[in-house]
Amino acid sequence: MTLLELEDVTASYGPVQVLDGVSLSVPENGAVGILGANGAGKTTTLRAISATVRTGGRIVFDGEDIRGRRPDKVAALGIAHVPEGRGTFGDLTVRENLRVGAYLRKDRKGIESDIEYCLDLFPNLQDRIRSNASALSGGEQQMLAVGRAIMSKPRLLLLDEASLGLAPTTAKAVYDAIRRLRIESGIAMVVVEQNANLAFTVVDSATVLETGRSVLTGTSAELRGMDEIRRAYLGG
Amino acid sequence: MSRHFRSRKALVIAVASTLALTFAGCSREGGGDGATGAAASPGITDTTVRLGISTPLSGSTAGPGTCTVAGVKAYFGAKNAAGGVAFGDGKTRTVEIEALDDGYDPQRAKANYDSLKDDVFAMTAGLGTPTNRAWREAAIADEVPQVLVMTGDPLFSDTQESPWQLGFVPIYQNEGEAFGKLLVASGAPHKVAILSQNDDYGAGYVEGFKSAVEGAANIEIVDELTYEATDTSVDAQITQLSASGADVIFNAMSLVPLVVSALQKAQQLNWLPSWFLPSNTSSPGAVVEPGGGAAFPGIYSVSFAKAPASPAFAGDEDVQTYLAALKEHGDYPDAPAFPHCQWSWMVGATLEQAFTTMTEPTRDDFMRALRSIENFEAPLMLPGTAVTTTESGQPAVPTVVVQKYNGKGYDTVESLG
Amino acid sequence: MAGARMTTAALSDRQRSWLRRAGPLLLVVVLVVVPLVFPESVNETIARIGVFAVAVLGLNVVMGYAGQVSLGQIFFLGLGAYVTAYGVSNDWNIVVVFVLACLIPAFVGLLVALAAARLGGLAIAMVTVALPIVGVPLAKRLSEFTGGSQGLSARFGDAPEWSGLYDDQWRLYLVLAIGGAVFLLTRNLVRGKYGRVLGIVKKNENVASSVGISPYRYKVLAFTLASLIGGVSGFLYMLVIQYTSPETMSFGHSIQLLAAMVIGGAASIVGSVLGGAYYVLVPQLTNLVDPSLTALLQGAVLLVVLFVLPGGLASLARPLGRGRRSRARHDPAPLITPSATTKSGSAADTPETERQGHP
Repeated sequence: MTLLELEDVTASYGPVQVLDGVSLSVPENGAVGILGANGAGKTTTLRAISATVRTGGRIVFDGEDIRGRRPDKVAALGIAHVPEGRGTFGDLTVRENLRVGAYLRKDRKGIESDIEYCLDLFPNLQDRIRSNASALSGGEQQMLAVGRAIMSKPRLLLLDEASLGLAPTTAKAVYDAIRRLRIESGIAMVVVEQNANLAFTVVDSATVLETGRSVLTGTSAELRGMDEIRRAYLGG
Repeated sequence: MSRHFRSRKALVIAVASTLALTFAGCSREGGGDGATGAAASPGITDTTVRLGISTPLSGSTAGPGTCTVAGVKAYFGAKNAAGGVAFGDGKTRTVEIEALDDGYDPQRAKANYDSLKDDVFAMTAGLGTPTNRAWREAAIADEVPQVLVMTGDPLFSDTQESPWQLGFVPIYQNEGEAFGKLLVASGAPHKVAILSQNDDYGAGYVEGFKSAVEGAANIEIVDELTYEATDTSVDAQITQLSASGADVIFNAMSLVPLVVSALQKAQQLNWLPSWFLPSNTSSPGAVVEPGGGAAFPGIYSVSFAKAPASPAFAGDEDVQTYLAALKEHGDYPDAPAFPHCQWSWMVGATLEQAFTTMTEPTRDDFMRALRSIENFEAPLMLPGTAVTTTESGQPAVPTVVVQKYNGKGYDTVESLG
Repeated sequence: MAGARMTTAALSDRQRSWLRRAGPLLLVVVLVVVPLVFPESVNETIARIGVFAVAVLGLNVVMGYAGQVSLGQIFFLGLGAYVTAYGVSNDWNIVVVFVLACLIPAFVGLLVALAAARLGGLAIAMVTVALPIVGVPLAKRLSEFTGGSQGLSARFGDAPEWSGLYDDQWRLYLVLAIGGAVFLLTRNLVRGKYGRVLGIVKKNENVASSVGISPYRYKVLAFTLASLIGGVSGFLYMLVIQYTSPETMSFGHSIQLLAAMVIGGAASIVGSVLGGAYYVLVPQLTNLVDPSLTALLQGAVLLVVLFVLPGGLASLARPLGRGRRSRARHDPAPLITPSATTKSGSAADTPETERQGHP
């Protein structure tokens, strides 16, 4: 059962065409990676899904074409975007930041238990629960951003460069938690990652973008086996 | 403030009264400082009288506003230097002026009034319709004179409605009427086109003009258009009016750039009527010269004050006294840029006229004295105009004379041509 | 470090609970007593401060809390004042007048916001600039309702016989009661969920929509609410000044209101009161110094305050009795965050655009 299907999606910022035919398919409970060089259109693909950029083509979520909807409506369908750069609110506490993610939910008890789950998933946040987010380290802020996305009880999580600017051990800790989340919750994911090795710890398959176009799609194993992929994205 | 001596029945709760004691220092004691005799009004003693002015000294109307203070300050500055003003009650007093800036903001004008009303004998000379209207009712309630103020609003000259007020400058209707009368008196047939601002300013002028030409056989109004105060061009209106065959245009516009472009547009269309402009948009330097006014058979406007810049009055004794005093006592070192300086000087002279016939140092008696001036030719007034305060519905200066542009300034004319 | 923090937090919690109980009571007592003890001129000045504090509060809702640049707030004050003046001079019931003075500006604000909030940050600013610029000639034009450029006078709110109060005292009570209610309601609103959501929209529209918040709807709500509060301030303006004219809503006053909000403190309830005090008192004080230099002196005051207290005067009042948490939330807020800046500032956007330079 396919949860999300992108067909020949295009997007541009003004005159600059950034996406020029991206196709992607995410099965229910699946996780798909997007690989590619800087400027290949990885982040824009996520923004196309979450409707924060104008797009062409078809974007089908759970059987419905969602292209052209307002971003908040898309979010309400159960698509949670963890933007590159995190976008946590420095003057809110960790708990308040998590609650932001639960904006659309009314189930008080469920919210509380999901906060507990986030804290269990990211034990670092447990100690900082009353601190302002501005006091967190980069890794903790990334965890908080993922936690906030989880709080909306999404069916699909869009993760953008979760390892950016983090020390290798921290990045690994973040991805360990994401893998655990995937296993425990079954949330489907689209993962954009510079560090393909990290991405492959989570995703089952991936698509490779070049100048805004899908050029190659395969399972993790297939892609890991290809020389050019190894050279370009796996550091050897 | 005497009404605040009235015993109060206010329900003062226990806590309140305790705290009230703490504030006792600032509790009400009533106003009226410095008044000597029991009968004297606030702001006047045996040796001084104090006048208040609220006028725009900042913002876009600061230029004319500053003049409204400078003229009256210069006038009484010179009088004070010569010993003071001899009042009708036999005492000689110096005149102090306390002027505050209201930035043409009604709310601030009201605040200025509130802060001045207990210290000054009368309020005077302030510029602006909304800023004077803002505290008119309060002045009536407090019985504080608000006199010889610079507004063309007829309300201030309505004795019934405004017992403590008197406007100084002619109202819009006076101006329009003066030009209408001149046209009628010319005897020759004239076709008139009217272009006016679509608000009470334009309407006032047109009303005055029409009342003067009504029933006159030699005047025909051939076309009448309006424009909005927000419009950036009146080219379309001028084009339409040029086709009307009018030989006179009655042009009641308050915006200088629009008047300039209207004059230019008419020349482009080779339509050269005699042109009437309101007093506030007829400045030779700012309007007529840039507009190429010399091309027209005549540019007409109205005035009641001698223009110090005009060569005709360069040697005039009034003008020289005035310019010297403005520099020395009016804090106004430059040549007066707005007629309001002259008007304000006349306000000083008119106030003095009232002071000399006051027999008691009260606001009541001042109003009586002020309202009984007839045909007083204040310094700087043009021949044919005078201060008359006895007629209800009319400002202190109800008459204006029509003037014609002569290439540099304006000369008074008796007829069109 | 964390332990020390906890202690201070606990301490200020205790202080806070005391202040929470005693503070409002004290405030109410002061507000009840003030009109009785001061002379008329002081009462009138306080009433004027109340009028403009409410106007600044409205501006704060849309600009301080929601981060949308609005340069047209004075228009809604003027509209409320005109509605009030018209209603009073036609002898309508004063309660009806009050309701209309709230609803009509709110409705106009809603219409403007529905159109403007679709546009980007600076475009909203431009639309709001147009309001006073169109409003002034419109008010002159519609002289049937507005009295033209000569304006409208309307006197109401004289002290009833039974109260035994002077008119100025009674009016000040009305201002304090109505203004106080508006402040209380607004305070509860911005401290609650609504305020938190506004803050999120202000700081990062993309994140806001990623959790299902419609930035558009909240911008419209904030703008409408600001217009409504502007209408209330217009009602109070008529109560206190008793006169309105096209000049009331001139664009210059809108800028002065904005300056008052910044000086008082953006996104601050106390700051709104201080802003109102600034708006009313500084022109009066500069008049005392030198009436011919008021504009210059006001500019100097503005600059000095901004350099010394970038968060506005409210940052002085902040340490008094506020808990650590709420203090943090009301930290010297960035004055203006046009959503254009917010967007490009959000990390989700910037790198992508940067990358376009070298694809």
